Amino acid sequence: MRTAWIVYKKEITEILRDRRTLMAIGLAALATPIVLGVISQVATKTATQEYTIGYAGDVPTGLDGLLRATSLKLVPVSDPAAAAARQVDIGVAFKPGEIDEYYDPSRQSAQIADTRLRTVLGQYSAAQAAAALQQRGIDPGILTPVRIVAHPLSSPIQAASNAFLSFFLPYILITMILTGGFSAALDSSAGERERRTLESLLLTPAPRSRILLGKIGAITTISLVAAVAAIGSMFVALAQISLPRESGIGHFTLSPVAVPVMVWVAILIAVSFSAVTLALGTLAKTFRQGQAYVTPLYFITIFPASIILFIPDFNPSLAYYLIPILNAVLVLRDAIVHNAVEWPTLVVTSISLVATGALAWYAALRLFTREALLTRS
Amino acid sequence: MTEAAVVVERLEKTLGKNKVLRGISFSAQPGEIFGLLGPNGAGKTTTLRIICTLLSPDSGRVEVLGFDTRTAPQEVRKRVGVVTADIGIYPRLSARENIAYFAQLSGVPDADLKRRVDAVIERLDVNSFADQRAESLSSGQKQKLAIARAIVHDPQVLMFDEPTSNLDVLASREVREFMVESKERGKCVIFSTHVMHDAERLCDRLAILHQGQVVASGSTAEVRGARRDLEDAFLELVGVK
Repeated sequence: MRTAWIVYKKEITEILRDRRTLMAIGLAALATPIVLGVISQVATKTATQEYTIGYAGDVPTGLDGLLRATSLKLVPVSDPAAAAARQVDIGVAFKPGEIDEYYDPSRQSAQIADTRLRTVLGQYSAAQAAAALQQRGIDPGILTPVRIVAHPLSSPIQAASNAFLSFFLPYILITMILTGGFSAALDSSAGERERRTLESLLLTPAPRSRILLGKIGAITTISLVAAVAAIGSMFVALAQISLPRESGIGHFTLSPVAVPVMVWVAILIAVSFSAVTLALGTLAKTFRQGQAYVTPLYFITIFPASIILFIPDFNPSLAYYLIPILNAVLVLRDAIVHNAVEWPTLVVTSISLVATGALAWYAALRLFTREALLTRS
Repeated sequence: MTEAAVVVERLEKTLGKNKVLRGISFSAQPGEIFGLLGPNGAGKTTTLRIICTLLSPDSGRVEVLGFDTRTAPQEVRKRVGVVTADIGIYPRLSARENIAYFAQLSGVPDADLKRRVDAVIERLDVNSFADQRAESLSSGQKQKLAIARAIVHDPQVLMFDEPTSNLDVLASREVREFMVESKERGKCVIFSTHVMHDAERLCDRLAILHQGQVVASGSTAEVRGARRDLEDAFLELVGVK
């Protein structure tokens, strides 16, 4: 292993002197707080933004106060339907015992205003009905013959925070591991051919498998440093920003189970990605050609993370945990949301990721020992 | 005659659809500069790459100091140093770090590393730029560094493949002087070039390659024969004159 260690030290030295890689890590650390800051701003703005209702007719007594309290501004218009098309967010015609609502569902502002209006009207109607019943000496409780008494088994605020983390954390972890080691991997493979150092390297008696191991180790280290920088800055940013109360998200903490699972999965992904990017980089003659080969990997990794966003309750069979990256996302989600590890899924995930890394390493080794590697360059 | 350091027998090699070597044979002795001459595409670089185990022959045999390149490639690499026109060095490492890296990969023990690196730096007069990053060096300095890297493990066989083609007059002369010095130290030097003037001045023996075959071999005087100079002999042998 002496050879691997020599190559590892040299690669790390070169990487630390490479502006491209350092910039990638710096951007990784900066990008997450910026994205979270923007999300926070947008969410806060959406929650506190005032929407306009163009109305005609007489506003029922007391309703205007409720609408103002929920940031719905009433503006008199002659034709609510025409006004709803562009002038205001929604149009309302107040008639005796009826309210006609006009809105364009393709506009997000109309959707939000509609939701708020329905909520307010529901509360208003319930209050009116309760008052009418009380006037007649009837208990308003008859309006809700079956009451729901909720007993949440965990804090709903923490659950919302965990749901947010279960999407965001795997996404950041995986993309940053890939992008953090991207430049280093290409520099270490395609870069060797481009600089014409490959021939000299292969002329040494050092076993090529050990040379590759050293390179994979260095790329893995840099990938993990980038991921740690990104996740560290993410938690710092999450502690600083404030999301609106309506989002139901409170403070962000990782459970004791999630931390070791995240570290283990991160190491496995980093090793696999390093081997895969090194193998793809070895196919390329130049750094730029290597970029073209490796870039699709970025898109492949986004899909599994997106599954959690679009299907939060996705509960696949054990076989799904054989799919690299998807398995990592699912295991991390389980650890973050449920604060638990299902050992069979973790074992299958580990086997799958180790096998992926080993296959990629073998492919890189085969490519590294091909004569075409030298004769084509 | 001493035992040959490099023996090449009936070497054949096809790259893609090109039959690059068609049964090349020669041998090179310790303490001599052996020239491989030929026009571009004659098979010089392919021959050298087979000798240093980067490529394997389709047929034929190569032995370096008694080790077969097919069965003992690691042993061959330990005993060979190669300098090419493509000076591939790591730009973000200093000259000293470049040399030390290749020394370590070539099996120089840690205890001996500093002494060996310092000795090579001293011998090739690299001191003035030893701690500069390689990316800031001139072409001549880079070529010196490439030589230092190739000899740091003290190989018995040195191969130079068009080593002066990208260098200025002064740097070229230093490379030539180094080849002579190596020969005097008892190394086997194989020098591939298409510069006849260099070959005539430096080589003790040589082989002229044309279209993958040896068309002439022997001492420089034998190959030149009665012709005015080696260039005339070369042009005649490859059928131009």
